[in-house]
Amino acid sequence: MYDLIIFLILIAVGYIAGTLAEKRHYRSIRKRENAFLNLPAVTMKGFDYPAEKVRSAKMVYGSAVISIDYFKRMLAGLRNIFGGTVKSYETLIDRARREALLRMKEMAGSATVIVNVRIETSTIGKRANKKGVGCLEAIAYGTALTVEG
Amino acid sequence: MKYTPRQAESNVNVTPTSPIREFFVLMGGLLGIVILIYIVLGLAVNLIVPHISVDLEKKMAAPFIRSMNAQDADTTCQHYVQALIDDLQGRCTALPYHFQVHVRKAPTINALALPGGHIIVFTGLLDKVTSENELAFILAHEMGHYAHRDHLRGLGRAVVFMTISTFLFGPESGVSRMVARGLSMTEMSFSRSQETQADEFALETLNCAYGHVAGTTDFFEKIPREQDPGRFGHYFASHPENRLRISHLRDISRDRGFKLADRKPLPEAIKRSKDSTPGKPSPSAYP
Repeated sequence: MYDLIIFLILIAVGYIAGTLAEKRHYRSIRKRENAFLNLPAVTMKGFDYPAEKVRSAKMVYGSAVISIDYFKRMLAGLRNIFGGTVKSYETLIDRARREALLRMKEMAGSATVIVNVRIETSTIGKRANKKGVGCLEAIAYGTALTVEG
Repeated sequence: MKYTPRQAESNVNVTPTSPIREFFVLMGGLLGIVILIYIVLGLAVNLIVPHISVDLEKKMAAPFIRSMNAQDADTTCQHYVQALIDDLQGRCTALPYHFQVHVRKAPTINALALPGGHIIVFTGLLDKVTSENELAFILAHEMGHYAHRDHLRGLGRAVVFMTISTFLFGPESGVSRMVARGLSMTEMSFSRSQETQADEFALETLNCAYGHVAGTTDFFEKIPREQDPGRFGHYFASHPENRLRISHLRDISRDRGFKLADRKPLPEAIKRSKDSTPGKPSPSAYP
């Protein structure tokens, strides 16, 4: 009986806290994405800039670690039984990747463009190599070019 | 090509969905499946039980019977009850079982029919009986459960698991032992009609063994009004039910023309051992 009560409390706390945190995070992500609109981050390896015009080229990266809440883990566990799209993990991965990109752009500062951008994902925490996702790290890296206009 | 910075209007990577709804749909589906399996297992009990041979039943019982044999004490009571049941079985019932009695020291006023022909008789019950006929009726009642294989149905859904594990992994496997350990025999439940059938069987057996049916209802009439009813097993489930059972037994006796005569007293040795061992509760009466 106590186990059930603890379980229900965990689910409720997970749902409420998780939803609030997610909404706040998305608001912040959208605001900062707007702020960085003029700094493109592309996957192309390079541009045809004349070499003498490129003032600086440096590696930039940003990483973000996001954890899943209890409710979503529960939901994904249920999904594991029936199969299908694990929708509850979608926002987790989306948030981690966009946050990593934003942090990378932040590191780039006043660069003109970030080329050769890659995003990688890994699970971390003690459950990383076992069943289930503990938390997730997304790392975005690229080369920030500052070009004389 | 000109680069026009703009923000994506919609997020293709996140499905717009209500997680609460998804949770309830999945949880409901899971619960539904669990309930379905539970119901199917319940139905399977009645389908499987008639097909379990006595041989398979003995194999199934093996894991938990071994620990019970180790607890058996070589007492006068044990010998007496065993002799009584052998006599009933040899002269009147001829059921395909080799019945084995296990007397256990406990204040519980009950007897249990376990798979494989093993009958547990608690000393609390022996303390209560006053004549051999009365005890014979109780034993014959348990044998009636064997005759109708109620003792397997009484195990409920566990019997399905036991059969499957014995079939697939053999009686000595770890799985079978685990299933046997999970059983709680004392929670066996019989329906009213199963009890009535067992009563009728017992009545016939007693008439065959003694030539009369005196003492059959003695046990039901001994319901102590003030005592804790929890101590009484399925013989005294509730007052109205006991009244019904007594009158039913009397009706049948009348209809079939069974006679009444003097009760056969318990042997002196049993009476003495009853006096010397007052029904003290023993902590480890049953595994």
